[in-house]
Amino acid sequence: MKFLIVEDEEGLSKSISLYLTGEGNICDHAATYDQGYQKLSLYDYDCVLLDLTLPDGEGLQLLKYLKKINKTDGVLIISARNSLDQKIEGLSLGADDYLIKPFHLSELYARIQSIVRRRHFNGNSIIHFNELEIDTTAKETKVKGKTVHLTRKEFDLLLYFIVNKNKVISKAAAVEHIWGDDADMADSFDFIYTHIKNVRKKLTDSGCKDYFQSVYGVGYKFADV
Amino acid sequence: MKLFSSYNRILSIITLTGLLVIGFLFYQTLGGYINKQIDDHLFEELLEVQDFAHVKNILPSPDGFDDVVVEYKKINKLQDKRRLFADTNFYNPKKKHQESARYLKTELILNGQPYEVMIIASKFERQEQIKSIILIILIPVIVLLLILWLVNRILIKRMWLPFRQLLTNIKAFNINQEKVFEPIQTNIEEFKALNKAVLDVSLKVKSDYKEIKLFTENASHEMMTPLAVINSKLDTLLQSNTLGKEQSEILADLYKATSKLTKLNQSLLLLVKIDNNQLQDKEEIDLRALIEEKLNYFQEFIQKRNLQVQINLDTFSITANRSLIEILINNLLSNAIRHNYDGGSIRITLTSDNLVFCNTGTQGKLHPAKIFERFYKDNASEGTGLGLAILKQVCLRQNYELVYNYHRDYHQFSINFNSL
Repeated sequence: MKFLIVEDEEGLSKSISLYLTGEGNICDHAATYDQGYQKLSLYDYDCVLLDLTLPDGEGLQLLKYLKKINKTDGVLIISARNSLDQKIEGLSLGADDYLIKPFHLSELYARIQSIVRRRHFNGNSIIHFNELEIDTTAKETKVKGKTVHLTRKEFDLLLYFIVNKNKVISKAAAVEHIWGDDADMADSFDFIYTHIKNVRKKLTDSGCKDYFQSVYGVGYKFADV
Repeated sequence: MKLFSSYNRILSIITLTGLLVIGFLFYQTLGGYINKQIDDHLFEELLEVQDFAHVKNILPSPDGFDDVVVEYKKINKLQDKRRLFADTNFYNPKKKHQESARYLKTELILNGQPYEVMIIASKFERQEQIKSIILIILIPVIVLLLILWLVNRILIKRMWLPFRQLLTNIKAFNINQEKVFEPIQTNIEEFKALNKAVLDVSLKVKSDYKEIKLFTENASHEMMTPLAVINSKLDTLLQSNTLGKEQSEILADLYKATSKLTKLNQSLLLLVKIDNNQLQDKEEIDLRALIEEKLNYFQEFIQKRNLQVQINLDTFSITANRSLIEILINNLLSNAIRHNYDGGSIRITLTSDNLVFCNTGTQGKLHPAKIFERFYKDNASEGTGLGLAILKQVCLRQNYELVYNYHRDYHQFSINFNSL
């Protein structure tokens, strides 16, 4: 997949591109409105990550431009402003999603893939990982064709790990993905452990290999070693 | 003491003393004037007696006068030719009672014989006259004073009306509300000046407050981007395959601190947002359904800590902003879970107008006012110290009454949705 990162904060765009690159992904980068304008005119992207405040212009103008020239690139707005109005404006202008800074890269990647899935497969996407088969629309999990019953949160967690496969996901990122901003509980990190344990058990009971790997108490990784 | 009473006290003391002094002087003057008139009359009578004696060569009979009594007394020789006027009492034979009177006593020669003559005139009628005069003058004066006092009272009341209105408006002024200070309409210069001063101060306070809010908002926003960089760098670092146990622990702590900082920032922004009334879209919210949904949402936390949850929920809906009410329920519930001990209990009661969250806790009674202050928290708390401040702000905005109680080992937060 091909992504364009329109973001003036170099540190951030570097980390994003580092995280996204690999596994057949290519990242392009634009630090200003002008650069973004040029790149959007010249190339097609699967998803554009758009910061709303650029040094020489408004990100929303780029979004308008993109829609004007009838490009079908997916657009994910990344903004420091958690403003409902801006969110509504961005989405009504044709952005696919709106992510508020600061975010975890795993969350960003999950959102991007969700956008790409919606755009390319009309939402009917089934993700395969070895013997695992996940239907993101029906929210069904199958191991070697046999359905595994997962709760809503367990399903979300598994999907989150699979789309971020081979990456280490911090506990903080996993907690925030499942419980959102409200999960400021002191011991919320322990819940991720419990949850992952449950998912692991359900999968291995169905004959799936255990792909979860713990990384020194900081996070987990879903990978086939 | 009220301004009017204070003003009135001074005024009545002056009026009363003035009235007494003037009355006394008036009485004295009038008395003197009447005496002088009687004295003139007595002198005329004396001349008449002299004329009578001179023409007819006999003394006039003592009872021959209409309004005076004349007494003669033979004396050997003239000693004191001065005429002496003085007050006395005498027996009025016609009316048959003692009356105050005035007499003229002098010695003179009548028909070649020295006599001591005393002419006595009753003062009774004159005194009645004085009384009438004084009454005629005093009653209107007193009535006038009463009217003045009344007019004063009404006038002062009316004149201070703008002041009273001003006071009400100042009291109604709330820095947190959109409504600006309402100036009053008045023609009185002093009140106009006061009005203007208060208006200026209120505008200044408002703009300062707005600036502080704006500063908080901007500062928090500006911090979000560096936080995003930190977060992304941590995520990048996490992908490195060379992490040892020690570095991982450092990384975990960094994650925790960053997440806390982010939450702090978000909470501050949320407070500003609530303050600015930015969340205004209202809709009908089924509170019971919302609480059940949140309970479900937090169920892992509840199960993990082995908390007993008793719920007693009536069906009750309110019209409010959904985000605000969700924040409200979230904060109440997460507090009840977070500050509980393992195996403790939570009771949620929803009746019409009233929502009560009770929970056992690791701490005893908390300070009922301080807990709602920003950044007030006990040392053991891992939170931002803004949760209850946000709760209070939401209730303030929505005009809900929020009360904290501690009763039989239960911390109790109750919200009355219909306090107005």
